[in-house]
Amino acid sequence: MSTATNTETAHVDIAADRVAKIYAQAIVEAADAAGCRRDVLEELGLLAREVLPKVPEAVAVFSSPKISAEEKGRIIDRLAGSRMKPTTVNALHVLARHGRLGMLGVVVDAAERLADERDGKQQATFTTAVPLDAAEQSRIVGETEKALAASLKPRFVVDPTIIGGLVVRVGDTIYDQSVATGLTRISGRLNQRTIHAIQNGEYTWHT
Amino acid sequence: MAHLTDEIASVLREEISRYQSGIDVREVGRVLEVGDGIARVWGLSGVMAGEMVEFPGGITGLAFNLEENSVGVIILGDYLKVTEGDEVKSTGRLLSVPVGDAVIGRVLDPLGNPLDGKGPVVTELRRPVETLAPGVAERSPVREPMQTGIKAVDAMTPIGRGQRELIIGDRKTGKTAIGIDAIINQKNSGVKCFYVAVGQKDSSVAVAIDTLRKYGAMDYTTVIVSGASTAAPLQYIAPYSGTAMAEHFMYNGQHALIVYDDLSKQATAYRQLSLLMRRPPGREAYPGDVFYAHSRLLERSAKLSKELGGGSLTSLPIIETLEGEVSAYIPTNVISITDGQIYLQPDLFFAGQRPAMNAGISVSRVGGAAQTKSMKKVAGGLRLDLASFRELEAFAQLGTDLDAATQQRLDRGYRMVELLKQGQFAPMDMVDQVLSIYAGTRGHLDEVKRDEVADWEKGFLTFVRDQMPELRKRIDESKELDSESERQLEAAIAEFKRQRAAKAGGSKQLAGAR
Repeated sequence: MSTATNTETAHVDIAADRVAKIYAQAIVEAADAAGCRRDVLEELGLLAREVLPKVPEAVAVFSSPKISAEEKGRIIDRLAGSRMKPTTVNALHVLARHGRLGMLGVVVDAAERLADERDGKQQATFTTAVPLDAAEQSRIVGETEKALAASLKPRFVVDPTIIGGLVVRVGDTIYDQSVATGLTRISGRLNQRTIHAIQNGEYTWHT
Repeated sequence: MAHLTDEIASVLREEISRYQSGIDVREVGRVLEVGDGIARVWGLSGVMAGEMVEFPGGITGLAFNLEENSVGVIILGDYLKVTEGDEVKSTGRLLSVPVGDAVIGRVLDPLGNPLDGKGPVVTELRRPVETLAPGVAERSPVREPMQTGIKAVDAMTPIGRGQRELIIGDRKTGKTAIGIDAIINQKNSGVKCFYVAVGQKDSSVAVAIDTLRKYGAMDYTTVIVSGASTAAPLQYIAPYSGTAMAEHFMYNGQHALIVYDDLSKQATAYRQLSLLMRRPPGREAYPGDVFYAHSRLLERSAKLSKELGGGSLTSLPIIETLEGEVSAYIPTNVISITDGQIYLQPDLFFAGQRPAMNAGISVSRVGGAAQTKSMKKVAGGLRLDLASFRELEAFAQLGTDLDAATQQRLDRGYRMVELLKQGQFAPMDMVDQVLSIYAGTRGHLDEVKRDEVADWEKGFLTFVRDQMPELRKRIDESKELDSESERQLEAAIAEFKRQRAAKAGGSKQLAGAR
């Protein structure tokens, strides 16, 4: 299950996103040519999400313009030189040379999104009020895939404020059958009804 | 009380039984940044240009810019309530406003919300704010007159139903007054009027509304207000929503008149939006499509063909110039779009000629066909005569001796200028206009002192109304000035002159006897 922080990111930097997309495309295509897309993405994801958060100083080093590209290249070689696929190492070198190593996380996100897109997979977020067990999860995903005729890459979120029901988000589209939305709708309808009655003079004021 | 509880319970039960109806499907995006009436939204990948979007709290917006990674939205409402990270929903609908009889007599904002405290606008009828203008096949030529009740305008730059006549001039030259007078004159003519105030001081708008109310014009008028303090997006869409309301009547075979006061402020609001949206600035920093913004608005004024009901929408756009500069960007644009212009000049205004219309450069390109025959007969050539009089007057100021013919033309010109002066909120009907302009152009006023012209005219019109009502009726019904009417009119003038001389003689004698 992916932990990609794609559409839910509160702060989206459009400019960074645009740059990241270009690097992502290059990485995915290079990995495809070498026939190791899964490995490359896995390694990059590991680096961006598991390793770097544990060593905050490394992030500072990677994003600092004070440290030269050669220096960063040496670090990359020592870090990943023999442990990772050549394509991964090359990708890191390219990022370092262009001073984009600081945005590794965004690039990896974009690359994963692009890879899913090319596989015909859509990222889907399932929001429920209570946590679901594995059986329920797979059933919901299966049903949704059938209904939308698409293959999904699911992510599960628990949000008690929706009270009950299920909210599915695929791309920019939200399928909302939560209790909270239903209640909002009822209150809107009741308001409308009353306004309508007042306008038509049908409303009787009870005392 | 028990009854009330039962009622509420039953309503609730009914609503809950319908609760399970369907899933709420919506496309969403997220606000990245917001300010100055615009928001940049991430997501909303399927939204279309001009589509309405919804912010939390029911605030609406319009998708304005579709970019690679984001959507630029203009916020129609309180943009201070929209914050970063808010969810934005696309609605799949276009912005629309309430139309029909329910909006008549109301003061509304550009979204159709009431501003006059007279309760909600109750109507099911709505019309999209932006629609395509009728095409060539759907139009017919402008033929019927659209009387403004202002002598100078109706005689020299006649306006037809379906025409677009620009009112242009510096500040404080009486531009709004012409628009308001035209609206007041539509009383009992069945023409529905719309006054769109864009970027005006709220105090001036309040005065305008008060005037309309005082002269009974609010019974058939709608005022759309987007004052100087409202956000630029609302100022930008106000003319379009006013037009949507007016169009409803046009497409239903009725006639409507719309006054845009004024389009220079709308252009400024549009410029602000475009610059905030980072669209490239062009001349005077206006965006490249500011011409289109005005042309697509004014093209919607039309005279429809008989098959479509023959309705019409006449528009009187107003443009404010700076220091009489008509060659600035927006004035030239709107001059080229409209079917003529009424040019108001400050020096004429301060010289006491009100309306301060410059006859030389004011034109009406299609209105001639719409002028009544009688008016055409008496006022033909008046505009050019007045223009040449102005030249002659400038020449005569050099102090040279003038021959008799020139002096006579000057005298006639002075009298005509006096005759064309007209008070505010005092529209005249067509027959009265024909009568006074006839007297002026045929030289019957040449002997009257300049400062007595207004008095003479007033007396003459009262005389005809009281003593020769059949002549008035004849001109009014035939809309023509045939030889018989002309003969009667000559006789009326002669008789009036006799009575006036006798009266003057009488009062002189009276003064002498004392």
